Amino acid sequence: MSSFWNSCLSQFEQELPLQQFNTWIRPLRLEGEDNFAAGLRLIAPNGFIMKWVKERYLTRIEELGQVYFDAPVSIALTLGERKTTAAPARVETRAQATTPKAADVLAAALPAAKSSSNSYEKTRLISSFTFDNLVVGKANDLARAAAMQVAQNPGGAYNPLFIYGGAGLGKTHLIHAIGNTIIDQHPQKVVRYVHAEAYYSDVVRAYQQKSFDVFKRYYRSLDVLLVDDVQFFNGKNRTQEEFFYVFNALIEARKQIVISCDTYPKDISGLEDRLITRFDWGLTVQIEPPETEMRVAILKKKAEAEGVALDDEVAFVIAKHLRSNVRELEGALKKVLAYSSFHGREIALDLVKEALKDVIGAVNRQITVENIQKTVADYYKMKVADLFSPKRTRAIARPRQVAMWLAKDLTAHSYPMIGDAFGGRDHTTVLHAVRKIDSLRTKDNELNHDLHVLLQVLKG
Amino acid sequence: MRQTNRQLLLNLIPDSPPTLENFAAGGNADALTALAAWLSAENREPCLFLWGEAGAGKTHLLRACGAAYVDAAVTPALDTLPADATFIAIDNVEALDGDGQIALFNHFNRLRATGGRLLASAEAPPLQLSAMLREDLRTRLGSGLIFRLRPLSDAEKIATLTAQAEQRGMRLSPEALDYVLARAPRDMRSLAAFLAALDRYSLEHKRPLTLPLLREVLQASQEDRP
Repeated sequence: MSSFWNSCLSQFEQELPLQQFNTWIRPLRLEGEDNFAAGLRLIAPNGFIMKWVKERYLTRIEELGQVYFDAPVSIALTLGERKTTAAPARVETRAQATTPKAADVLAAALPAAKSSSNSYEKTRLISSFTFDNLVVGKANDLARAAAMQVAQNPGGAYNPLFIYGGAGLGKTHLIHAIGNTIIDQHPQKVVRYVHAEAYYSDVVRAYQQKSFDVFKRYYRSLDVLLVDDVQFFNGKNRTQEEFFYVFNALIEARKQIVISCDTYPKDISGLEDRLITRFDWGLTVQIEPPETEMRVAILKKKAEAEGVALDDEVAFVIAKHLRSNVRELEGALKKVLAYSSFHGREIALDLVKEALKDVIGAVNRQITVENIQKTVADYYKMKVADLFSPKRTRAIARPRQVAMWLAKDLTAHSYPMIGDAFGGRDHTTVLHAVRKIDSLRTKDNELNHDLHVLLQVLKG
Repeated sequence: MRQTNRQLLLNLIPDSPPTLENFAAGGNADALTALAAWLSAENREPCLFLWGEAGAGKTHLLRACGAAYVDAAVTPALDTLPADATFIAIDNVEALDGDGQIALFNHFNRLRATGGRLLASAEAPPLQLSAMLREDLRTRLGSGLIFRLRPLSDAEKIATLTAQAEQRGMRLSPEALDYVLARAPRDMRSLAAFLAALDRYSLEHKRPLTLPLLREVLQASQEDRP
């Protein structure tokens, strides 16, 4: 039937990047093909898409029509049924609002089986945070090992388990992974994840409704209590007091408690001493910011989950720009993937650089010799100290020469100053390094590639 | 007479409500496509972040999506936001106060767990907001898709203003537009407001849109600026 429209669709599918095709072309409908001389009607689901198609794609559709029917065609763009003319978001909000209700109805219809007893409503666990999709490195190795032990043997290994680290390092991921594993292996256990702010709200509600008995009974009935971001208890005395009793009751009954926090227990401000000492009863483990290697691994694993293979050097460039936490690192990767899909281009160095501009913003980073040394050492997976050392093995001397060459190229420092910055070397050593790299890069593709990546990274 | 002029020009709100349809995309096609895709049901990313200088179109887009909209510069504690909103849009997040930041942090966690959405904006990307926002909130805002909105080029501004003038039934010559663009504040918000003021002034005084009239309105609006 709609054979012209079908051929039109496949044509656009070839001409446009997938995201654009799905956003603008796929939602359209074409009517009136049976009698094309009377004019075709192209129906858009909302005014936004209609305007966009009119501005960018209508001419092309008319061209394709002319070829297909071998005669000029007129195409009128119209809106679909009135319901969909509202802003897409509004439709969306309605749809969303009804989803949980439908889920409730479904849950109510089911017999009170064990499987439904571990629903999100009950545990507040996000099922996508698991040990399987957690990337491990030096930074979180210990924390993960401890968390896995606790998950295998709740109440019997370390109690409480106290996990601390800065924002966006994966504390919440780890804590959910513990809960999800326990539910998997011990479906009868009552597990509850609670953010410290939500716990505080529970206390306030219990206070207002004078229902502390229910509150206490509930929290003391748990087999596993996972409390996220306990630093939010800061200055909330009543909440701390309630938590103190829950804590004691659960530990005494050998029920597992896991706590996360953004600092070491002793450094939490506005927290009662008796709580702080108790947090230290079990095991306290830290998650550190991930080193470059781990950030690269994280990026590659996340990209793989999206069905994209990421080159090492591309991952390296992203990882160099986002150092402090995993959360924003993942945000940057999403941006790169979206940018590549929008422009229909392969993920290569220049694309990454363009895509990251939106994430990083305009910063005129001053390039220092120190910065160059750090980057080169990271890139060649060696220690910065090796660059200053007297060692002259090739595995060290070549990166050192690369770093010197970059220092000459990217800073205004004199040769003697650069030599000085590399463990007090003579300026003739720098001169030699620069000449050496200049001549090598014309024949050595690998070296040339290294230089290209390093320049991109350093220039930002 | 002078009093009347001031009265007119203080009202700097463009007449038509912002929609995605009447957004002049210019060089922001990728941001707009991403926003449209994000608004469609399949996309599950909880947060989309738009940043750019004043007049780049942040507020327009935030108010066009049908979300519960709050401008943090007006309500820094965020206490007017419905507790159970499934789609929220927070403008100028850098202006949130301490309570507002914790409120948005809680909203973010809630929205992420329940499949809701947050559309946020600021003048800079999250990475540049560490002096203004708590780290736990800041990194969350940086966890989703981030787009910079670029102001329209002069040619795009002229095209947009011409279209807006046509909609109002105003006849503005290219010379008149050049004149405005060379002298008025050049962000789209001010320009659209200026157009509205010009329209009203010309109607009320029953005078055609000539260069002298333009000059008058422009002068009055400049006197009004603090």
